[in-house]
Amino acid sequence: MIRVIALNELRRRLRDRSVLIGCLAAPLLMAAVLGLSFAGSSSAVAVHIGVSGASPELMAAAEQASQLPHGVTVVAMPSQQAVRTAVANGNLDGGVAVLPRQMRLSSLLIPIVDPGATHTPGFDVVTRGTSQLGQEYAESVAAGISSALFADKVPHGPTVDPATVAITTQSVGHSGKVNLNFFAPNIAVVFLFIGSGLGMRSLLMERSAGTLARITAAPLRPTQIVLGKLLAIFVTGLVTVFVIWAVTTFAFGANWGDPLGVLLMCVGATVAMCGIGVFLTSLAKTEQQAFGITLLVGLSLALLGGNLLPSGSLPDAFQVLALGTPNGWALVGFGRLDQLGEPASSVIGPFFVLLAIALVAGGLAMTRVRKMVEP
Amino acid sequence: MQQAVGGSEAAATALGPPAMLRCEGLRKRYGDRLAVDGVSFFIAEHECYGLLGPNGAGKTTTISMLCGLAIPDEGHVTVDGFEGGTLEAKAAVGYVPQDLALYPDLSAVENLTFFGQLYGLSGKELQARIGETLELVGLADRGKDRIGTYSGGMKRRANMAAGLLHRPKLLVLDEPTVGVDPQSRNAILETVGQLGIAVLYTTHYMEEAAKLCDRIGIIDDGHLIAEGTAEALIDAHGGRDKVHLASEGADLHELAAACRELDNIHDVHEVDGNLELSTDHGPAVLSAVVAVATRHGVDLTGVEVRSPNLEDVFLSLTGKELRD
Repeated sequence: MIRVIALNELRRRLRDRSVLIGCLAAPLLMAAVLGLSFAGSSSAVAVHIGVSGASPELMAAAEQASQLPHGVTVVAMPSQQAVRTAVANGNLDGGVAVLPRQMRLSSLLIPIVDPGATHTPGFDVVTRGTSQLGQEYAESVAAGISSALFADKVPHGPTVDPATVAITTQSVGHSGKVNLNFFAPNIAVVFLFIGSGLGMRSLLMERSAGTLARITAAPLRPTQIVLGKLLAIFVTGLVTVFVIWAVTTFAFGANWGDPLGVLLMCVGATVAMCGIGVFLTSLAKTEQQAFGITLLVGLSLALLGGNLLPSGSLPDAFQVLALGTPNGWALVGFGRLDQLGEPASSVIGPFFVLLAIALVAGGLAMTRVRKMVEP
Repeated sequence: MQQAVGGSEAAATALGPPAMLRCEGLRKRYGDRLAVDGVSFFIAEHECYGLLGPNGAGKTTTISMLCGLAIPDEGHVTVDGFEGGTLEAKAAVGYVPQDLALYPDLSAVENLTFFGQLYGLSGKELQARIGETLELVGLADRGKDRIGTYSGGMKRRANMAAGLLHRPKLLVLDEPTVGVDPQSRNAILETVGQLGIAVLYTTHYMEEAAKLCDRIGIIDDGHLIAEGTAEALIDAHGGRDKVHLASEGADLHELAAACRELDNIHDVHEVDGNLELSTDHGPAVLSAVVAVATRHGVDLTGVEVRSPNLEDVFLSLTGKELRD
């Protein structure tokens, strides 16, 4: 009976095209917008950073440590003045003049730990106010030079591998693929939430249309009715995520990470979002209320959970709050796969947290939704 | 308070088949409002029982309790021997709600397929039942069209088909002809008339109840105030025949006095410039009344004899019109 109710729900949503719009057209559109926004951005970047006072070996080591994205070029300049002039004229987007005489071992860490520092002995980071990218990459190159020099200057203790240091500079750069990898799963999570919340409005609509009374009069248990509806919402939710995954991957070259892990996270995120979405809908008395609650809470959770802005860019308190949301845990799981390149086993934890959220929210929702279908 | 005339459960159980539906002391309260208060009745197998009452009388609430859609605060229901609200009881009932309860984006066949599956039908049996049921309600040629494209009457018939599909032992029809064109109304009444199963039919159209139902229960303000066959109710509560005499500009005082002298005339009074006579048998006194009018030089412009009906029964029992 659960299957019968779920199939009828899907058939009706196919017929009124809401499932085509919600699960196919909107995700396709969003995936296309994301893909066009981010996937092509790396090739569009053309940034020139001038460096003076550094040997070719040091520049090469600095470039390796900085892990500059494609499109950012480091140019050797003859002097500090030449760097300043070229940046002022707009011939360079930013520059770094290395001043060996002013350099101290202790000051080498400054470009790494505080890239925006106003005074860095031994370095003159030259930027132009109108070039944000130029400033970021100049600071990144300075940090790379620091890393290379620091690794070479420290006589005792472990050798610092520039590639390890480079992790701190990676976030400074703007790789389009990295952005797409980040935003695609996060937008999918937002879609999931809104889709599941709006999907459960079906019960409210059926109640006002009178068909729920007819279904309730049939020899069914209330649980079967609710589970049938939930199954349909789960299927449409999963299709939504898969569409975004497929389109961003195959059309725009995004890399969500280990497919098995992505599959786990898709299922986990879908059941969690279904549970919370359905619970919120169960609080509403009318379709309009359900719509309003779903949008309000959905966007709030997306913001808190870091789906719209990376939680790393938010204050510490928000980063803790993010882990109180299913969105935050979905972000953790997808992030491990696409940002850190970790294997599927790394998302087992977030997956079970999402399952737990689904069970709690779904359990609460069931008690409330059952009342809608019970005499 | 309830008055039974012309039929009783004792008679039905002694002489006929056992009760398909039995309600005892049903009571349901919504907030401060007592929607149904102590309603008891039964419906025998193959019997059509009409629940007649104005809007808000408690008909739909009673039906909701019978179909397992609402739990009675007091009293209990059995359907085909099963406790009301159980899966077995629900399976025995075909529920046709007052409002259209079908999916407008789906065709009649798709709607019936879904509702049939809810009752455990599948495969060829389901397809055969759908064909038979659409034939029964006269929609066989429109089965593949979406419900949203149907006329109001066709939607009502499709609505009824969904309740009949699983061949219920008790069909519950909640005001099935409200807002329906005469042709579809006749089709619905004809369909119900040929079913041969137990039917609970609620309506506020007395003609339908009188034409269709073996017995009628009159419900008002949540109370079942009388039940019996239409004839018995009318005999007991409908009052006498009324003879209306219409005349333009004539002085009716003398005619009224003369009519009072006639045999079998029980009461005479003026209503809106016309005379209304109460009698046991209107047609029998008509010739004498016309002769008296002629003798007094009253030029009658209209003569009408009206026998009492269920409307009069309701008026007599409640003091208000059925459509109030």
